[in-house]
Amino acid sequence: MNDYTFPSKVRTFLLGGIGLGFLCLALTFFMDGLDHHPRFWSNFLHNSVFFTGISLMATFFIAVCITAWAGWYTVFKRVWEAFSQFLMVGLVLMLIVGIGIYANWHHLYHWAAEGITDTASENFDSILAGKSGFLNPTWYVIIGSIIVLVWIFFAYKLRSLSLAEDEFGGNDNFSHHRSMRKWAAGFLPIVGFSSAAMIWLWVMSIDSHWYSTLYAWYCAASWFVAMIALTILVMIYLKSQGYFANVSNDHFHDLGKFMFAFSIFWTYLWFSQYMLIWYANVGEETVYFKTRIDHYPVLFYGNLILNFVMPFLVLMRNDTKRKFGTLIFVSIVVFFGHWWDYFLMIKPGVLESATHGHGIGEYTVGYTLPGLLEIGTMLGFLSLFLFVFFTILSRKSLLAKNDPYLAESLHHHV
Amino acid sequence: MSDKNKSIVYGLYNDETELLSAVKAANSAHLTIMDVFTPFPIHGLDPLLGLQESRLHIGGFIYGLLGTLTAFLGMTWIFTKDWPQIYGGKPHWAVPAFIPITFELTVLFASIGMVVTFYIINGLGPGVVNPCIDPRITDDKFCLAFDAHEVDPIQAENLLRSTGAAEINSKTL
Repeated sequence: MNDYTFPSKVRTFLLGGIGLGFLCLALTFFMDGLDHHPRFWSNFLHNSVFFTGISLMATFFIAVCITAWAGWYTVFKRVWEAFSQFLMVGLVLMLIVGIGIYANWHHLYHWAAEGITDTASENFDSILAGKSGFLNPTWYVIIGSIIVLVWIFFAYKLRSLSLAEDEFGGNDNFSHHRSMRKWAAGFLPIVGFSSAAMIWLWVMSIDSHWYSTLYAWYCAASWFVAMIALTILVMIYLKSQGYFANVSNDHFHDLGKFMFAFSIFWTYLWFSQYMLIWYANVGEETVYFKTRIDHYPVLFYGNLILNFVMPFLVLMRNDTKRKFGTLIFVSIVVFFGHWWDYFLMIKPGVLESATHGHGIGEYTVGYTLPGLLEIGTMLGFLSLFLFVFFTILSRKSLLAKNDPYLAESLHHHV
Repeated sequence: MSDKNKSIVYGLYNDETELLSAVKAANSAHLTIMDVFTPFPIHGLDPLLGLQESRLHIGGFIYGLLGTLTAFLGMTWIFTKDWPQIYGGKPHWAVPAFIPITFELTVLFASIGMVVTFYIINGLGPGVVNPCIDPRITDDKFCLAFDAHEVDPIQAENLLRSTGAAEINSKTL
């Protein structure tokens, strides 16, 4: 079966999931005791950033594989091509957050507060005034949107070239593939720098006084592992439905290796950031971890257990990367774990701004721990992601039949 | 090694696909293959030879764990009991500072332990002379070898000939 049909049952199920997401978002909106609904807005931002990032990492990885002349993934590359198209939805979601800054719907970002750059104002903050060349609504909304539009363009370009290759390739002296290679190579430096800028704007600037140079890599690694985990889950599901008969355990083995390797890469970055800040012990840097260890210990240590200890110990063996049972288990845990990681990046800063720096002293559902509403919101966004993914996947053939690497991919053996 | 004076019947092939089909033919003729020598790893050869997955990595895990414990417990003892000092205002038991060294020692123990184990298991090491069946197996020849005591040498030679071996020899090592 080389053409995916989106069954109406699954469609209804996913629409139900989206409905659940809306319901949970609405409930968080109305049940929020603090000014400007920080719980609602931080949930919205958290999930928008997380799923947009997964989509971006799929685009990035397609470009990496093309540039590296990789052939193993060709048999299922339509999955990543479909993942990458979610960027368009991501742009809309991030624009809602961006417009919220102008319209004063939320106070997620302290740098957007009124009078922060005005020396006459009592809100004046010299540090943020110094950063205001970058941390300002214009950068966030206008330049941010332009950057995401560039990503969308490349995601669209790489996919449409791949689809055109299906139709006109084979006898074209690889002209489609050559063209793809140029676009992919061009995309890599662009995504390298622009993703960092967007991570600074979207996530790091929540803790607006704090900064870390490693942060962008760390966030990107988190996205990447989540993307691979979601790929494994989706592929196992599609295989169980009878699609992708050509995808063998060897392909899953490689995906498992990527999940394993990048979990360790993520830990490496996490630890490098932590240790440098711990060692230097500069007050304005240390406060970031101090807050998280003191007030968010479950999230802080849970993060390491879910995203490092667990995948490290389970995926270390050869056979656990080849069995669906262990792969599904680890993928679910790691996917949830990286969502949890973003939760921990976003929530403390939001709460800090919402309570005007007083923070909190005890466990608060929705901030120091994800509550049921957060889980429901995540499932809603996941349903939206999968809905878009399956819709796009069902439009075109699952097999890139004229890709020069297809034969290599079909014979992939590790 | 203990099995000195083995008499070996072997064929040299020019191509790995010929070798693979020869191994299949030997399997279906129930001829016990002594060993196969190739200049590079060949996909699909291991399952045909019925080779088990190496257990070397289990050893690697144990050596690694040993390294982790040596480094971590060693530093813990040194910096809290044996010679406690204050560096940069950090506590004596400064776990984050121990992690890089723990990591390094884990890697060091695992790698050296595995190399040494590999050498011992395979009887390799300084001063050991290992007989080579034919020097060209390190270059461009693919060798399929039978032990003349385990299989009928005539039958083995016939099989090698019929599967297209470029050269057939016997040798006592």
